[in-house]
Amino acid sequence: MSTTEKPDGKATTVKTTFHRETRISTEIKADPAIIWALLTKASDYTRWNSTVTSIEGNIVLNEKLKLKSVLDAKRTFTLKVKEFEPEKRLVWGDGQGNRVYTLTKSENGMVKFSMIERIGGFMFPLYGKMIPPFDASFEQFAADLKKEAELIMNSK
Amino acid sequence: MTVELFNKEFEGHLAQLKSYLVRITASVADAEDIAQDTYLKGVEKINTFRGESSLKTWLFTIASNLAKDNLKAQKRWTENVTDITKAAAMSNPDFFKEAMQIRMTSPQGQFEAKEHIAFCFTCISKSLPLEQQLCIFLKEVYEFKVNEITTILDTTEAMVKYYLHTGRSKMIHIFDGRCALINKEGICHQCSELNGIFNPKQNTQEELMKIDLVKEAEKGEKEHLFDLRMRILKEIDPFQSKAAELQLHHLEHNRKVMEKYPD
Repeated sequence: MSTTEKPDGKATTVKTTFHRETRISTEIKADPAIIWALLTKASDYTRWNSTVTSIEGNIVLNEKLKLKSVLDAKRTFTLKVKEFEPEKRLVWGDGQGNRVYTLTKSENGMVKFSMIERIGGFMFPLYGKMIPPFDASFEQFAADLKKEAELIMNSK
Repeated sequence: MTVELFNKEFEGHLAQLKSYLVRITASVADAEDIAQDTYLKGVEKINTFRGESSLKTWLFTIASNLAKDNLKAQKRWTENVTDITKAAAMSNPDFFKEAMQIRMTSPQGQFEAKEHIAFCFTCISKSLPLEQQLCIFLKEVYEFKVNEITTILDTTEAMVKYYLHTGRSKMIHIFDGRCALINKEGICHQCSELNGIFNPKQNTQEELMKIDLVKEAEKGEKEHLFDLRMRILKEIDPFQSKAAELQLHHLEHNRKVMEKYPD
């Protein structure tokens, strides 16, 4: 997957017959440890992330999570943490797709945060239309993360 | 540093050290044991103290490491600890008998709402993850700077800031939902209830209005109210205050209840 998109906090979605991929990236002026802590402390998510209504479980490798999102408040997503590389890369997902978070340090002291979700499969043409677009939710997630991480970084 | 000088300086920091330890462990015995072990370890390692940090920071580092070893084996408490322990106290006739005995006979048996506010914070702070709890006390009550806390807890400045911010945010949220002193919708009135029991001749409302935290509550500035709450903790030595024995009795009760409380 390419990570060359502009870190402008705007989501883009590409659809094909069997897949849909939404991606976003933004630059955050904060230590990657802070961003990583925010992304991996499940019990703290709903405090700063307005797109998540609940998340149960521990965000560590091979653990299962139960996540509810504002996109579909009635549905609980059961996800597995598939990759966990501290301060660099986190992947969770289910049979339909994966969400990939990456943190990349820039030379200017910023951290590029990217989030990509790719969903699909052979049955995707049947159910794809029922899945709401992720763009607005992605933009809110990235904005919330940036705001919270920079607030913490600038605290005394 | 000579052992004589160390002894003298240790004595000067002992009250704050014990205050910190009893607040993070909620146990008088553990606080005293860890303070003593801190002294012994300090004497043993005095030759390694290079003055790169203050002696106070060095002592709190030793004490925090000893306390962390002790606390990591214990479960954390829950946000509603005061509800759980209140129910246990109500069903235990000995609790109020002992408390009233202390109230009537001990020079440190007064009941003051301020003391109970500090006690309440101590209990609820044990619902935070350990690092957040330690950071909050070190920064907000014992006035260490962020860079000193990185030394005490052997972590990075970024993580100290993260622990402080998240711990503080959680505590503000918990008290905003629970504490009737700052929120009319708050569900916990224990300060008022206990003041009525232990100081029946006082007008509780008048007493509460003497406290800045309560006076300022109407303005609803949550961050400021948290700072006022922290100021109360700073002003109180849990071992030396006029209410110390009564509040430590309550704390021991709560610890015993929470140790047995199922996950």
